[in-house]
Amino acid sequence: MGMLAFLIAVNLGAVNIRHSDWMQVFTEHNRYEGASYVLWNIRIPRALLAIAVGAALGIAGALAQSLFRNPLADPGLLGVSAGASCSVAIAIVILDGFRFISSEELRIWTIPLFAFLGAMAVCFCLDYVARVVSPGSIAGLLLTGIALNALAGAAIGLCTYLANDEQLRSFTFWTLGSLASAQWMMVGVLIGTLLMAWVWIRTLLQDLNTLTLGENIANHLGVDVLQLRTKVIILVAILSGLAVAWCGMIGFIGLMAPNLVRICLGSDQKRVLPYSAGVGAILLLIADTIARTIAIPAEVPVGIFTALLGGPLFLILLRQYRSRLD
Amino acid sequence: MELQLNRACLQLGQQAFGPFDFTIKAGERVAILGKSGAGKSTIIRFIAREYRIKSGLILMNGSSMDQYSSAQLSRIRGVLPQNTQIVFGLMTDLVIELGRVSAPNKVNQERIVMQAAQMACAGHLLGRPFNTLSGGEQARIHLARVFAQLWDVCDGLILVDEPVAALDPGLQHQLLASIDHFASERNHAVLAVLHDINHAMDFERLLLVEHGRIIQDCRADHHALGDLEHLYGIQLEHLHNSQGGSVLIPVR
Repeated sequence: MGMLAFLIAVNLGAVNIRHSDWMQVFTEHNRYEGASYVLWNIRIPRALLAIAVGAALGIAGALAQSLFRNPLADPGLLGVSAGASCSVAIAIVILDGFRFISSEELRIWTIPLFAFLGAMAVCFCLDYVARVVSPGSIAGLLLTGIALNALAGAAIGLCTYLANDEQLRSFTFWTLGSLASAQWMMVGVLIGTLLMAWVWIRTLLQDLNTLTLGENIANHLGVDVLQLRTKVIILVAILSGLAVAWCGMIGFIGLMAPNLVRICLGSDQKRVLPYSAGVGAILLLIADTIARTIAIPAEVPVGIFTALLGGPLFLILLRQYRSRLD
Repeated sequence: MELQLNRACLQLGQQAFGPFDFTIKAGERVAILGKSGAGKSTIIRFIAREYRIKSGLILMNGSSMDQYSSAQLSRIRGVLPQNTQIVFGLMTDLVIELGRVSAPNKVNQERIVMQAAQMACAGHLLGRPFNTLSGGEQARIHLARVFAQLWDVCDGLILVDEPVAALDPGLQHQLLASIDHFASERNHAVLAVLHDINHAMDFERLLLVEHGRIIQDCRADHHALGDLEHLYGIQLEHLHNSQGGSVLIPVR
């Protein structure tokens, strides 16, 4: 299913891709001209980026939900995405998009770097609150997330107010999310990070299951909840920070993918996490394909389609399997 | 196993508990009795390290409880809390299997889950979603989880908080008997908060709790009658049932 979606996604678009273009990509010494250039340098990296970002968002959402024992928790709710967004707003408006950095090569790293730093800052803030201000309380952490969301919202509002026309457009577009700037470098970084994160997550799956029984019981069963929480927070920061970094705020996937999996397959984290990655990847790939083909040659922000696609699907499944939800 | 409380005090907001001084030896079965709100569950919970004590010591096998990691402690101590909610719908098998999450030896996992479930009278509940079970059935699954946790160890400690409150009388008796059977097979000590005086009479020792402190530490037999009357502020009568066992009933 994923492979099929990938092939369809790669073949659709403004430029027609023929069979021979595929052959050309895989032959040695080709010069990447015309359609095969589009295929190799635009379509394939973009599709792979959609897959990687979708998977990262799905995993980050699933981790956040199991950490907070709340099916509504996602990096958005905890203020992680807002933190990233806020720091990007500052980068675009206050620092004027790093116009002072002359090299284009370096500049594409600045927005992701700021997004990542913002996400990390929020995560450490959450972690600090979790340890010092209201130790052991997940409700405290959730409320902190809401407060941080409000703070970031205020900062974003201020930046928006101060921004000039061009900055505003650039920030708004980033906020809506887009995969248009996909490059092989980004794909490599994201997929590498995903693989490393997955190796780490695999060791935590059963511990995450015990967390479902409650923090106290998890402790009784020999799980070091404090340590587990720190690990999960770091993972959420890395995954959602990276996902937000190049593609902006792509909403709904972190919330929807894990819940879809849970409705269909039950709540065993050993299943929820890998399948959330898969569902997130496919959803984002389809949404992005629609977003860039529906109004050729123009492009619609992908966030609109993740919501349009996911919302109804989610409601249908909710109706069908509501008994399995609790 | 030896659990020793040495002038352990606890402060929860305005409420002070303790000092507590008592020792529980391997294989011993101790019941905690007292009125609602006297602090029975609190004792269980701070021994389970859910609360940190303010002063004094809790010693497990001679060394302070704080020196144990969660994983180490989970190999010698199981806890059955009063009421628990599971947010996501897990299967009952998985809930029981989670009892063995920090067990070093993962072989025979399925067999242990099955036998633990059977011992807790929950064999027929396997393969069902936990959240669709009734309160009493959920209690049995949690008990099976504790059994699975301490299945292959000896000389452990089981802390239980009103294990049978949600069950019908027949099942109450059956479950207490299975806890008893499980513990004595492995020489586990049991420390249980109970509501029913007659269930407590099947234990060896009573800790009577009032206003956050232990007012009496005595053997569980009809000699405790006077203390129990004082504790609950009721009159009790000591009768013998047809099998010659002691029964305490309130006099109206």
